Amino acid sequence: MSAEISVPPVVTGWRRGLRDTENIGVTIVLFLMMLLPVLEIVLRKTHHAGIAGAPLIIQQFTLIVGVLGGAIAARDCQLIALSVLTSVVHGRVKTAMVVFSQAFAAVITAFLCVASVIFVNDMRHSADIVAFGIRSWYVQMLLPVGFGVIAVRLWWHAAKTWRGRMVAFVLIAVFVAIALWVPVSPEKMKWPALGLLLVATVLGAPVFTTLGGAALILFWGEGVSIAAVPLTHYSLVTNPSLPTIPLFTLAGYFLAEGGASQRLVRVFNSLFGQIRGGPAIVTALVCAFFTSFTGGSGVTILALGGVLMPVLIAAKYRERTALGLLTGAGSLGILFPPCLPLILYAIIASQAKAQISIEQMFLGGIIPGFVMVALAIWWGVAAGPKITEERRRFDGREAWRAVWSAKWELLLPVVALVALFGGFATPVEAAAVTAMYAFTVETFVYRDLKLFKDVPGVVTDCGRIVGGVLLILGVALGFTQYLVDAQVPDQAVAWVTGAIHSKWLFLIGLNVILILVGGLVEIYAAIIVVVPLLVPLGKAFGIDPIHLGIIFLANMELGFLAPPVGLNLLFASYRFNKPMIEVMRAVLPMLGVQFIGVLLITYVPPLTTWLPHLLSK
Amino acid sequence: PVKIKLGTLVPKDSSPHQSLKLMAEQWRQAPGGGVKLSLYTDGTLGGEVDMVNRMLIGQLQAALITSVGLAKIDNSVTALQTMPLVYRTLDEVDYVREKVRQKLERRLADKGFVVLFWTDAGWVKCFSRRPVLFPDDLKKQKLFVWAGESKSLEIITAVGFQAVPLETADIVIGLKNRLIDAIPLPPFFALAGQIYDTAQNMLDLNWAPLSGACVVSRKVWDKLPSETQAALRESAEKAGNDIRAQARKEMTESVAAMQKRGLTVYTLTPEAEIEWRKLAASTYPKIRGGLVPAEMFDEVMQLLAEYRAVKTP
Ligand code: NA
Ligand code: NA
Repeated sequence: MSAEISVPPVVTGWRRGLRDTENIGVTIVLFLMMLLPVLEIVLRKTHHAGIAGAPLIIQQFTLIVGVLGGAIAARDCQLIALSVLTSVVHGRVKTAMVVFSQAFAAVITAFLCVASVIFVNDMRHSADIVAFGIRSWYVQMLLPVGFGVIAVRLWWHAAKTWRGRMVAFVLIAVFVAIALWVPVSPEKMKWPALGLLLVATVLGAPVFTTLGGAALILFWGEGVSIAAVPLTHYSLVTNPSLPTIPLFTLAGYFLAEGGASQRLVRVFNSLFGQIRGGPAIVTALVCAFFTSFTGGSGVTILALGGVLMPVLIAAKYRERTALGLLTGAGSLGILFPPCLPLILYAIIASQAKAQISIEQMFLGGIIPGFVMVALAIWWGVAAGPKITEERRRFDGREAWRAVWSAKWELLLPVVALVALFGGFATPVEAAAVTAMYAFTVETFVYRDLKLFKDVPGVVTDCGRIVGGVLLILGVALGFTQYLVDAQVPDQAVAWVTGAIHSKWLFLIGLNVILILVGGLVEIYAAIIVVVPLLVPLGKAFGIDPIHLGIIFLANMELGFLAPPVGLNLLFASYRFNKPMIEVMRAVLPMLGVQFIGVLLITYVPPLTTWLPHLLSK
Repeated sequence: PVKIKLGTLVPKDSSPHQSLKLMAEQWRQAPGGGVKLSLYTDGTLGGEVDMVNRMLIGQLQAALITSVGLAKIDNSVTALQTMPLVYRTLDEVDYVREKVRQKLERRLADKGFVVLFWTDAGWVKCFSRRPVLFPDDLKKQKLFVWAGESKSLEIITAVGFQAVPLETADIVIGLKNRLIDAIPLPPFFALAGQIYDTAQNMLDLNWAPLSGACVVSRKVWDKLPSETQAALRESAEKAGNDIRAQARKEMTESVAAMQKRGLTVYTLTPEAEIEWRKLAASTYPKIRGGLVPAEMFDEVMQLLAEYRAVKTP
């Protein structure tokens, strides 16, 4: 999970008060999300009954975290944008780019707000009740408020000066006027509008406005109510399995912000540091471990980069090799449980009627995950220094001390897996248990996080990133809805099965397409938009849905390193203060090695399917 | 021609889908230019609650859904479904439906929907990990309750069941992980979802019917000329009858198919039936007014009394 990196602006006065209120709000809600499911497990064990409506309440909490976190992300200029251009351009050109792209993003967000108002107004006729007699449209009113706040904040951050903001304001007014009053039919306006959206995206508009804008424009062009976009957003954000995403992310944040990185590096270093290529092994393993909890390589590179780089340099790795290894290792954990992309794939694929569960995806990813790690290690060892003058000897006592001091963190995956497969918790409850465990360990056992001084900040960071991601997820599904509404998946199946008759040929085509997708699209958006198209195709060619999912995610893992839109490149460039071009060059060999991994995973299905099928018997 | 999009959970190429396709063909040739009906099967446009919402915003114009979804428009339809052991035969279900349909249709019309046909998919039965004959056998197992309905959870726990609220998406994995042991389901879904793999026992007790209807939004319906409306209604009525007949037949076939794959079916003994009826009756005071509007509950009971008085000499 990741965001374009910039420093949040400093504020004073009433804006500071508002900021603190938002931060405290999101912290409280995330804490309740963590506590309620844990309480539910306890009550079920002791009283044979849970809290009435608890799962329903937790679902609504996800919506609140999404709205608050999204508003916070907009406030702190942390909405995920994928344009590489903003990092290479400077001066007046950059100012103009930012004004235009943010103003256009504000227009799109304002229309998302309008669509939400229409949605809530229509929903007043529904008899649906959330819990305790609360009508669902009361809760849904959060959507227009959230989009409204984000629109205002996008405008505000379009420039640092009032003059710039005036220019942005005029631009916004012009765009709105064109959309509303120019006497051309929506059908004819569709393509110019999409073109403008593409330009704004390249110039740096946030990802969610690209997808949300596309969905709005396409529905509008078809004459379908634009309320379909917020409706879909609402139904995804309140999906019963979705709370797993903020909860596992929270566990990852406690881990990353506590002292886990030093302790884990020490463990792996004492175990593998002395063998040839040891530091490469340490890097790959620690990164994989971290990413599987944080859900994306961004946090891993930021949290571990500073600790691991010195280890590699001290072991006489060339700087370029070290940079390539760290950048590439950032995404290694994507295929290990409980990584978020696995969860999201299971949710979206089962909505598309694939017989698949989160647990099956978790099991399916384990061996392919190790294949990717092994390949990374292999390259790291091969590219490492050939002779080390004095080889350190394995120090059994140091290894034991390191393992012992990190024991609680090393147990985290065990806690997560036992909760998931132990039969006493739903996936959401297992995620809550994991978050609770990470919180307890970092705050009360290691005391790396002070309860009142550090914890709220850590939870707010998590809420901000989750808010940014949920924004993307919701509107991306709105875009998918358009595809389904236009019956694109059916047509795609008919077309592909007509053109291709062999499963292997299909897999080759799939690899080519997915590498392109991975190079261009952000992973979460890719899952939501591409998976509903992919699932019926996989079914038509008789591909196991677990295998299809792992192929998809392995390709996306590659996409983290692939230009033009490689998030790891962006993060490494920021963390190690190196130009993009240099990072790209450094990561090329790793990209090649990981590509071999993707091919193995694609063409040797048992790597994926053996474990889940073994354990389902 | 006028375009209507219809959403449903029924699987593509299943028998109800075939009936709907036939209906779509007839609608295309309806007088007044015909109607172009697009079908969205398998819940591709969302679950039942989602589909109702999509009709409210006008993205969908029609849906074939069960009472669970219909209740989000007007909860009086629960009288045809959320009534455990109230109906004894499918003939009784037919009789009551014919008597109350005008009232239900009026209430749905007030909320903006026209009912094209009513239908059902037979009975909901109880599938469980360990055999269930008496209520006490079920009380020892963890029972699935749909998380979307907190009221039924309250009622089920009140009569002594270990209810575990889950989303429908978590059923299969819940069974595999022993989070739940038992689940009430129509046999058709138990077969399709391979529930019989883990819940290998079925009690042959007709717990409740699975009722539903095909509804269309008045925003599009009221604009059609009345001769078109009449033609559409006629073919819809036919489709509804086909779907009902076919679904009832497939209910028996599904059970037989599952028996071949290891499902054990337990016939209800008279002693067990007495206990089940006693248990169900103890929930009626809470269901009446809680899940089902009181006047609808009373009306159903009244109608059934009448029906049985005539039937039994
Ligand atoms: Na990429
Ligand atoms: Na759940």
